[in-house]
Amino acid sequence: MKEKTEVQQGTLALMVLKTLNVLGPLHGYGIAKRIEQISGDLLSVNQGTLYPVLLKLEQEGSIASAWGSSENNRRARFYRLTRSGHKQLRNETENWELTTSIIARFFAVRREDLA
Amino acid sequence: MRALNRFLSRIRNFATRSQNEERLREELEQHVALQTEENVRLGMSAGEGRRQALIKLGAVETVRERYSEEKSLPILECLQQDFHFALRQLRKAPGFTAVAVLTLALGIGANTAVFSVVYSALLQPLPYRDASRLMVLNETTPKVGVVSVSYPNFLDWRTQSHTFSEIAALQEVSFNLSGITEPESVSGLAVSPNFLAMMGFRPVIGRDFESAEEQTGTAPVTILSYSLWQRRFACDPAVLGRTIVLDGHDFTVVGILPSDFLAPANTDLLIPIGVWITNHSEAAHQRGARGDMPVIGRLAPGITSKQAKAEMEGIAARLAKEYPIANDDFGVALQPIRDAFVGETRPALLVLFGAVIFVLLIACANVANLFLVHGTGRTKEMALRIALGASNSRIFAQMLTESLVLSLFGGLLGVGVAFAAVRGIGKLIPASLLRGGIVALNIPVLVFVAAIVLLAAFVFGITPALHSSRTDVQSELKEGARTSSAGTDHSRIRSALAIAQAALALVLLVGAGLMMKSLYRLLQVDPGFQPNQVLAMTISLRRDQYSKDAAVRNFWAQVLQRVRELPGVENAAVSTNTPMTDNHDRTDVTIEGVAQPRPGHYPHPDLHIVSPSYLQTLGIALLHGRSFTEADKEDAPPVAMINDRVAKQLFPNQDPVGKRFMFGHASTDQPKWLTIVGVVADTKLYGLANLSRLEVYVPVRQEPSGQMDLVVKSRVDPAAMTSAVRSAVYSVDKDQSIASVATMKQLVNNSLATRRMTLVLLGLFSALALMLGAIGIYGVISYAVAQRTREIGIRMALGASRAGVFRMVMGQGMKLAATGMGIGILAALGLTRMMSSLLYQVSSGDFEIFTVVAVLLLLVAVAASYIPARRATSVEPIVALRYE
Repeated sequence: MKEKTEVQQGTLALMVLKTLNVLGPLHGYGIAKRIEQISGDLLSVNQGTLYPVLLKLEQEGSIASAWGSSENNRRARFYRLTRSGHKQLRNETENWELTTSIIARFFAVRREDLA
Repeated sequence: MRALNRFLSRIRNFATRSQNEERLREELEQHVALQTEENVRLGMSAGEGRRQALIKLGAVETVRERYSEEKSLPILECLQQDFHFALRQLRKAPGFTAVAVLTLALGIGANTAVFSVVYSALLQPLPYRDASRLMVLNETTPKVGVVSVSYPNFLDWRTQSHTFSEIAALQEVSFNLSGITEPESVSGLAVSPNFLAMMGFRPVIGRDFESAEEQTGTAPVTILSYSLWQRRFACDPAVLGRTIVLDGHDFTVVGILPSDFLAPANTDLLIPIGVWITNHSEAAHQRGARGDMPVIGRLAPGITSKQAKAEMEGIAARLAKEYPIANDDFGVALQPIRDAFVGETRPALLVLFGAVIFVLLIACANVANLFLVHGTGRTKEMALRIALGASNSRIFAQMLTESLVLSLFGGLLGVGVAFAAVRGIGKLIPASLLRGGIVALNIPVLVFVAAIVLLAAFVFGITPALHSSRTDVQSELKEGARTSSAGTDHSRIRSALAIAQAALALVLLVGAGLMMKSLYRLLQVDPGFQPNQVLAMTISLRRDQYSKDAAVRNFWAQVLQRVRELPGVENAAVSTNTPMTDNHDRTDVTIEGVAQPRPGHYPHPDLHIVSPSYLQTLGIALLHGRSFTEADKEDAPPVAMINDRVAKQLFPNQDPVGKRFMFGHASTDQPKWLTIVGVVADTKLYGLANLSRLEVYVPVRQEPSGQMDLVVKSRVDPAAMTSAVRSAVYSVDKDQSIASVATMKQLVNNSLATRRMTLVLLGLFSALALMLGAIGIYGVISYAVAQRTREIGIRMALGASRAGVFRMVMGQGMKLAATGMGIGILAALGLTRMMSSLLYQVSSGDFEIFTVVAVLLLLVAVAASYIPARRATSVEPIVALRYE
C-alpha cells in the first residue's frame, strides 16, 4: 500500500517538473489539467494530492512560487522551475530512461537468447 | 542537498510556526473555481459543475493533513504537545509531583555535589602543558618507603636516562623574608632552571632562570609568586631588579610567576638550584642526603611510564652498586603528577561516588514506584487513548516525556541542593586535596547533571512507560473492571523495585558502618602523646643572625622562659620532628659493639631534637631511665633517649640504658658516642593509622637546630594563646617570623580528615537511602492493602482473625525486606572490598557491622509495614464487600 503511494508521489513530482519545463509557469489547476490530459487516469481523481507534492518540491528548492493573476482574473499561485529544478529534471530523466531501457531489455529477453 | 533544503525549510517553519493554511485554502478554492468553470463550459449546471469539481479534488482533509505534515516536523510537534500535556498532568497531581521532584532533587543534588569534588580532584586537567606526561620521581627504600631524591643521584639520573625528555629537581626551601615591612616566613622551591618551561609556564614579567644558574656560585636571584607580589609589592612592576632580603642574604627579583601557576607545594618564590647548592654545599654534594627534593620529569614522546620505570630501576641498580653506602637497596618510585596532588584520597572519592550513584538509583526506584501507582489511576485514560487510535509507541513516548519533565524539575532543584551542599562539603575536604582545583559548579559538572537527568528519566520512566503502552484495551474499558489483568504483573514490578531499594540501602549502610567502626578504632588509638591543650608553631631562625650555636641555644632558652611566664601556660618545649607535622628528619645510626650492618642497612630512626621539658609538655610517657635535664649541656657528656621500639628491636633482651650509639656510620674517624639515658613510649609520628617507627631523642643544647617547633601546653583554650605566644617570641627577637600555627588536636584531626569526610558523607547517604527505602516498602505494602481491601473483607467474613490478617500483611513486608537484604549482603560482601584501603583494623566483611545493619534495616521494614498492616486489620468486612 505504502509503496504504491510513494511510487506515485515520485512519478507525480517528475511529471510536475516536466510540465513546468515544457509549459513554463503555471498554477496548480493548470498543472493538474496537463497531467490529466497526458497521463489520463493518474490525476483524474484526487487532484488535491498535487498540492503536498508542490509544497515538497518547493521546500526542496526545485520549484518556486509566487502569487499572480489567473485567466479568470483571480489571484492564483504560480509555480515555476528553478535552476536546481532544471538540473533535477535532467538527472531524473536520464535515470528514468536508463531504468526503462534496462527493464525493456529484460522483457525482450527470450529463453533461447540466454542459452 | 535537496533533502537538506527540505529539512531546513521544515525546521524554519516549525520554529516560526508559520501557518500558511490560508495559502492552501486559497489555492484549493481557485482550483475548484477553475474546474467548475470548465465543467459549466462542458454543459453542466453551475451546481453540478461545482459538485463534480469537488469530487475530482478528492478528500480535502487528507490533503490538508499531508500538506501540514510536509510543511513542518511532526515528531517535534508531538514532542511539544507531549511536553505541554505532561506539564498539565503533573500540575493536576501536585502531591505526586512534589514527592517525585523532591526525591529526584535529593538524588541528583547529592550526585552533583560529589561529582563536582571528584571532577576537581580527579578529572580536571592540571594547569600544566601536557600534564599527563609529567611524572613525579622519588627514591624508595624498604626501610622507610618513599623518600625524596639526593642531588648527586638526580644529576646521574639526568645524564643516564633517555626515557625522559626533560627532568628537573625541586628542593623545598623556606626563608625569613625581611627588609620590607614586618618579617614573614616564606616557603619556596629551589629549582633546576628548566623547571618552569617544562611545566609550561613563563614569568608574566621579567625573565625565567637560565641554564648557567644551575652552577655553584651563581648570583642570588628569585622569581616571586603572583600572590607574594600582590601582597608585599602591590603588583608594582618596578619590583624587577629590586633586592629583597631572604635569611639575611640579598636576592635580586628577576621575574613574577603567573597568577595561575600551581606549584606542587606551597610556594611564595622560586630560586635557581645553583643558589641553594652554594648555600648548602654539604647537603647538595652528599649522595646519601635525601632532604625535600622531589624530581619531576616529562616522558619522552612515545615512552610509557612502564618503560620509564624499567629504565630508572636499571639506573638505580647501577648507582646502588657504584655507591653502596648511600644507595644500597634504593629504588625509584614514579607516579603521575596528579597522584602527587590527590594521594590517598582517590579511593575515598571513588567510594563516595559509587555510594551517591546508589542513592540516585534508590531515588529512581522510588519515583518509578510512585509513577506506577499514579499510572494505575490512569489505565482507563490510556486504554481510551489506544482505543481512539494512539499507537503504543505514542503512549510510550508520552509517558517518557512525563518522566523527563519530572527529571528536569528534579535536576533544577538538585543543582540548588548541590550548590548548598558543595559549600558544606568544601569544609569537610582535606585542604591538601583542593590544591588541584576548586570545587565549583562549572560547565563539566553541569554537563554531568544533564546526563544524569536524562539517565534518571530513563531509569525510572522506562518501566511505567512500557507498562502503560501495553494496556489491554478490552478489559480496561469494561465497566466495573476494578483489578486489571496486569495487576499481578504490576505488583511484581513494584515488589522488585522495593527489594532493589532494600538491597542498595543495605550496601550503603554497611559501608557507612565499616567507616564508623574504623574511625572509632582510630580514635581509640593511643598516639603516644597528649594532643589536648597543646599549641604548636614552627620557628625558623635567620642564618645570618643565628650563625653561632651559642646564639641559637640562647634564643630557644629565652623563648621558652618568656613563654612559660605567660599566664595560662602550663609548660612549653621546643622540638624537631613533632608528631603529625610535615617536618621529618631521619638519620642512620651505628650501635656500639654491634657487628657492622651491610652498607645501606643501618637502622634509620626518626630524630627528635628536644628541650628537657618536651616529654612533660606533650605528655609522652617515660618508660625507663631518666629524661633530659638542664644539666645535659653542651659541655656535658652527650646523651640520648630512645623509644620503646628501638629498645625492643635494637637492644633485645637487654637494658639499653647506659648503652651507646652514634649518628652516621662507624667509619667516621672521630666517633661521637651518645649514651642512652632513658626509654620513652612510641608516638604516632605519621598519623594514627600508621605504624610507630624507630625514634631517638637528643637534647637541643647538645645539638642546636635553627628550625624548631614551639609546643605550648596551656590551661586554657590553646588557640586563644596564639597572640600571647607570638608576642613572647617577638619580645626576644622582633624580626623573627612564625609559621604553621595549629593546635595539636587540629593536627591529629587533619590526619583523619579523609576518613572523617568519607564517614560523614557515607553516613548521610545511607540515612537518605534508609529513608527512601522505608518509603518504598511502605508504599508497596500500603498500596497492596488498598488493592486487596475486598479480598481481606472476604477473608474476614469467612472467619479470618484480625491477627491473621495482620500477620499476612506484615509477612509480605518482611518477605520484601528479607529478599532485598539477602541480595544486599551478597553485593556488600563484594563491594566493600573496594574500600579496604580506607578501613582501619576492620575487615570489609565485618560480622558485627553486617548484623547490626541487617537488624536496623529489618526494624525499619517492620515500621514501614506496621501502618498498612494495622490499616488492613481495621477493614470492616461489610464495608469492604459493599465497596464495589
